[in-house]
Amino acid sequence: MSADSRFSSSSAAKATTQAQQQRADAIAGLTFVGPAMLALIVFLILPLLVALYFSFTNWSGTRPLDQPDAYEVVGFKNYQRWVIDGRRVDDFYRAVRNTVYYVLGVVPIQTVIALLLAVIVNQRWLRGKSFYRTAFYFPSITSSIVVSFIFLFLFSAGGPINAVLSLLSPAYEPVAWTTNNDGVLHLLLETVGITEDSAGAWVEIEIMDLEIWDWIAGPSVAMSTIMALAIWTTSGTLMVIYLSALQGIPSSVYEAAEVDGASNWAQFRHITLPLLKPTTFFVVTLGLIGTFQVFDQIYVLQNDQTGRTTTSVAYLVYATAFESSSPNLAEASAIAIVLFVIIFVATILQRRFVGGDRAED
Amino acid sequence: MKISRILGLVVVCAMALSLVGVAVGQDMVTLRVWTGSSSPVENEFKEGQIAAFEEANPGIDVELLISPDYGTQIRAGFASGDYAEVFTVGQFDFPQWQYDGLLAPGSMHIEAQDDIYAGLRAAFTADGELYCAPKDFSTLALLYNIDAFEAAGVDQPDANWTWGDMAAAAAATTNDDMVGFSAAADKFRWMALFYANGGEVFDMDGAVAIDSDAGVEALAFYQSFIENGTGDQPGNLNAGWNGEAFGQGSAAMTIEGNWAIGYLNDTFPETNWGVAEIPVAPNGGRGTLTFTECWAVSSRAEGEVAEAAWALVNFLTGEGEHGGHAVAAAGFGVMPARAQFADLWSETVGKEYAAFVTGASYATAPIFPLGFGDFDAAVNEATTLVMALEEDPADALGEAADVAREIQAEME
Repeated sequence: MSADSRFSSSSAAKATTQAQQQRADAIAGLTFVGPAMLALIVFLILPLLVALYFSFTNWSGTRPLDQPDAYEVVGFKNYQRWVIDGRRVDDFYRAVRNTVYYVLGVVPIQTVIALLLAVIVNQRWLRGKSFYRTAFYFPSITSSIVVSFIFLFLFSAGGPINAVLSLLSPAYEPVAWTTNNDGVLHLLLETVGITEDSAGAWVEIEIMDLEIWDWIAGPSVAMSTIMALAIWTTSGTLMVIYLSALQGIPSSVYEAAEVDGASNWAQFRHITLPLLKPTTFFVVTLGLIGTFQVFDQIYVLQNDQTGRTTTSVAYLVYATAFESSSPNLAEASAIAIVLFVIIFVATILQRRFVGGDRAED
Repeated sequence: MKISRILGLVVVCAMALSLVGVAVGQDMVTLRVWTGSSSPVENEFKEGQIAAFEEANPGIDVELLISPDYGTQIRAGFASGDYAEVFTVGQFDFPQWQYDGLLAPGSMHIEAQDDIYAGLRAAFTADGELYCAPKDFSTLALLYNIDAFEAAGVDQPDANWTWGDMAAAAAATTNDDMVGFSAAADKFRWMALFYANGGEVFDMDGAVAIDSDAGVEALAFYQSFIENGTGDQPGNLNAGWNGEAFGQGSAAMTIEGNWAIGYLNDTFPETNWGVAEIPVAPNGGRGTLTFTECWAVSSRAEGEVAEAAWALVNFLTGEGEHGGHAVAAAGFGVMPARAQFADLWSETVGKEYAAFVTGASYATAPIFPLGFGDFDAAVNEATTLVMALEEDPADALGEAADVAREIQAEME
């Protein structure tokens, strides 16, 4: 009995200490994540909820909130006006179209370039590695506003890009890169003889207040310039992420493959790419979110002439809240919420397609 | 992001300072004055005005905040209900801010109102009440390149120049290096011609009239330069805006405001240019646009604070030596809002720029009424499409006018 009781009492004591230990762990854990959680709640979750709330009101953004008549709750009116069937639906979907083409153009290209750059600067035979790493990373640490102005200069009608192209080919007609509204797909279609008139009546059917012909325009030349800029600046950042992942792949794997007689391409295709899958998921997710929210480059590069083909949804939010003659923070919030939903859905879809094993956990 | 953080810090510091101010000088009246940052010269000018006021009024302590991102800053202040006692209001913000009850009525306080240009008073008047005191303004005029005109053998424009003369001069000055006219796709350029042509956005009875013959003619005339190759948009002329295209010699004429004076003389000192009034419309009418800003007093200022605030506003904009007189004598481009100082401004800046100030007597501030934001956007779109030669002026303005009519129908 004595042995028994001794055993049980010590186990009870052990259990108490374990419970105490767990509580102490929990407190320690909370203390560690607490500040971050607090910052997240105050600066991310609360503002999101507030934006959601104001998107259902008619608050102009200028009337003091301490006044009793600061705003009224108007239900889904703002969403109806911009997204469903109101007067600004065409502006909203035009911005959506511009943004989607931007995302579809930028994300794949910048991901591939980042991977290639990372693989190149990771080669053992490469001399002056740190120079290349710095050079490729440099655009990312430069202010995007400054870079945008440099691009504005490079691509201006009489700028260096046109000068070089005319040198290379005397027949080249200088293109006004930053002001040209022609859709790239429209231009391609035109080379095979398809125009709005010859394509048939179906292209004039309106979906969401925008003709099918406008939907399939592709990014405009001006937008493509902005896309080139985005690719150039972000590839470096993503390269660094890929590079660290590449260096995390143990060399023994490659050595084993070499012993088995695998070619360089086979190694890249069957070892590097699969092992980089979680990184690719991360890079694509970052790219998607970043490109859907594109704002600063657009802010600098768009002008009177190109507003229709370069306005992104994020820029539309800003313009609605601050730029227009009748500012409306509530409507801007509604557009921002819709943008949030779009990004959320896109990220989930992307997780389905690229996600894979490691990303799930 | 960083700028906004620094701004936030500045605001916090300003608030902290204002608290200290209250604590130290119990019987001092403290005024917070907020305005936007423009050129360094102009910022210094504002600081000088405020310093002079403080010297003249020892009992009033002014905390001046010149903000590079003024619009965002003052809106944050409005939203929280804690904002400056005296602040600047742009003409396009006025309808909304007045409607939101942020501005104290000023008819009773603003001195010598008759001397302020009627077009400027109209911009800041709602329901017959003048809310704030215009501080300065700009107008649009026709800039022309004297050398290009001489080379083409065209007489320089005078006060009686017509649209026909302008079209002929544009054709004559167009050559391989230069177009006759730089025409930005901006409604606030062609609308100068619109008002000259007797156009009205809303007619006497309040009906939408932007798509009237007068409106369509004006936009068609503005578009004609692009259509017949005697003009182009600045973006296609390797320039960011009309002033740059004109200054670098890519266009012989353009329509711009007096803000271009300093820019052109600093950036393109070689360019030999002159200014004329906006050409006379076929029906003999004159018109131009004006852009202005005023000093307003917060509707929350009461008692002696309100008194001090209005004293400051009159000091900054009135007939005294530091008001309109100082604006005219400083001569950095913007013109004083009071007619009595027009000559002084011309003398300071140069008689050759007098066309800007002449336009003040018939200028209109192109403000769309509250609730017509969609109409505003529709006119922008119409302008862009017409200037891209994608739409006919009558159709484009007709569509924009339909938006305004729809809004009117909803308001009833």
